[in-house]
Amino acid sequence: MAPSSATSPAADRSGAQLSNTKTTVEFRAALVAMAIVALIPLGVSNPYWLGVLIVSMYFAILAGAWNLLAGYTGQFSLAPATFAMIGAYTTGLLNHYFGVAPLLGIVAAVVVSGLVGLLLGRAVLRLVGPYLALTTLSFAEIMRLVASNSIDITRGDLGLGVEGLMNSRVGWYYLFLGALVVLLILFYMLLRSKAGLFLQAIRDDEVAARRAGVNVVFWKTAAFAISAAASGFAGALYAHFAELVTPELGLIGQTGLIVSMTVIGGMGTLAGPLVAAFLVYVLSEWLRDVGGYQLVVFAALVIIFARFFREGLWGLARAAVKRRGRA
Amino acid sequence: MSGIDVDLAVNGLITGLFYALMAIGLSLIFGILKIVNFAHGEFYMVGAYAYTLIALALGVPVWIALPLAFVVGALLGWLTERTLMRPLYAGYTSWGLMRDEYAVIVTFGLSLFLINLVDKVIGPYAYRGPPLVETSRVVLGPVLISGHRLLAAGIAIAVIAITAALIKWSFWGQQIRAVSQNRLGASLAGIDTAKASVIVFMLSGGLAAFAGALLSPVINASPDVGIFPAIKSYIIVVLGGMGSVPGAIIASLFLGVIESFGAVYISFQYRDAFGLILLMLFLLFRPQGLFGEKGREV
Repeated sequence: MAPSSATSPAADRSGAQLSNTKTTVEFRAALVAMAIVALIPLGVSNPYWLGVLIVSMYFAILAGAWNLLAGYTGQFSLAPATFAMIGAYTTGLLNHYFGVAPLLGIVAAVVVSGLVGLLLGRAVLRLVGPYLALTTLSFAEIMRLVASNSIDITRGDLGLGVEGLMNSRVGWYYLFLGALVVLLILFYMLLRSKAGLFLQAIRDDEVAARRAGVNVVFWKTAAFAISAAASGFAGALYAHFAELVTPELGLIGQTGLIVSMTVIGGMGTLAGPLVAAFLVYVLSEWLRDVGGYQLVVFAALVIIFARFFREGLWGLARAAVKRRGRA
Repeated sequence: MSGIDVDLAVNGLITGLFYALMAIGLSLIFGILKIVNFAHGEFYMVGAYAYTLIALALGVPVWIALPLAFVVGALLGWLTERTLMRPLYAGYTSWGLMRDEYAVIVTFGLSLFLINLVDKVIGPYAYRGPPLVETSRVVLGPVLISGHRLLAAGIAIAVIAITAALIKWSFWGQQIRAVSQNRLGASLAGIDTAKASVIVFMLSGGLAAFAGALLSPVINASPDVGIFPAIKSYIIVVLGGMGSVPGAIIASLFLGVIESFGAVYISFQYRDAFGLILLMLFLLFRPQGLFGEKGREV
């Protein structure tokens, strides 16, 4: 168990301010990065590379959502890709069988994946560390097995065809970017509010947080539900973009990619995982032509970052800026 | 009990023996470091490749290739412990309070690394290992079994028995059990906890690799072949109680039999889901498992 540290109210307040300025700096950096991403279609019109960037944004949303749960609240779920899959199947099945319009289906996907997240979050409330990781991992595998074996309903591994939303790649590009920026702003507002402090207090010391009056049950469950809803949203958008829903969306490898992006970018930082999602995915598409060692390299990077640079690329960048400021 | 039931039970028990080879190591690691090694399936995968490549590419006799696979797995376990697990107890991790998260990430990363490395270096094709004996089928009453599987089951029983005896009675086995009961207490009593961790990782890697080698004529080793055996061993370790070796052995046999009957009588498609559902139920309602010991504090 983590040692609880006694802090005076004054120290708490300055800690809160510190944490807020830190989050604000990260938020601004993330906005700058998104502005750069917004300019890319002016120079790049190749539909293949636009597609790569769209998928990067899909992963950026997932990494951001997982980071909220794992990086800020300390709940290490291994099911982020599963919630994307649940969202994708919600809108996919509604569209395929009942002809529900994609926009309505996406709303339904957010609600359903959020509810599933709420239930799972409530169930695993008391599990920590390896127990939580194993429970969410088995939840993920059960969901994937159900999706791929309910062939009568989901058409199994063949996948379910769903309606598209528009034909323009650039349109999709800005839709995903818009979704990403909206979620970024929502996460920023959440983290800057008292809720953000509660979540981080729970991560740092659950017992102390409870003694200090934080409603631990409520906030842990809420973090799970919000993270799941955001992942489900990304999955639903992706379903209409790809016009196909398959159980592959929920593969452990997908979760591995999300975890890698978050760790390389910097867990518990707002900007790191978003930027790393682009770096990792675009680099991996690019490296595919030169040898294809990309996944080996990223896995090695995950190990190296976890072992030596806990705060990821964002932490390294911040340290570099600090050094230059002092020199 | 009809003939088919006997056949299902025996084949389920044999599958359970191979599960046990994997699960014992995982359980010992949990006992000593309180972490789950998410790269455990990759030790198994490396063992299958080591045996197959040593026997086929170098032309080494299978009876020498088999123990060599154990050695390769043990070396990998040693390397993992020295490079990645040390920070968990040596107190210089940069993760501070997030020790559990470090362990999950770093073993998960190791798993991705080994899968993709083997995929690039050796290739994504499936390799079939040479069987220990060529007899294709042995008939024992109602039970039909291949000669290799029968022999491999016998070897597995011997290895499991030796391992369990070592853990129970040997000097280092007792020290390992002391450390898993209470790390601080054990180190106060003069036990070298670092050395105990190294031994556990070498034994665990070696056993998983050995399981992979024994099964390589059946499983057609490919880079991701370890994922499912690893998930089975997580289930077993939770059912048997994390850290308990006898619990792991009993739970392995139990799961093997359940899956064998479930696949025939309930649903073939969902045969892999039974264990996972059990796993979730246990983690939610009885996390100490069937035989788990509660930790002792000093």
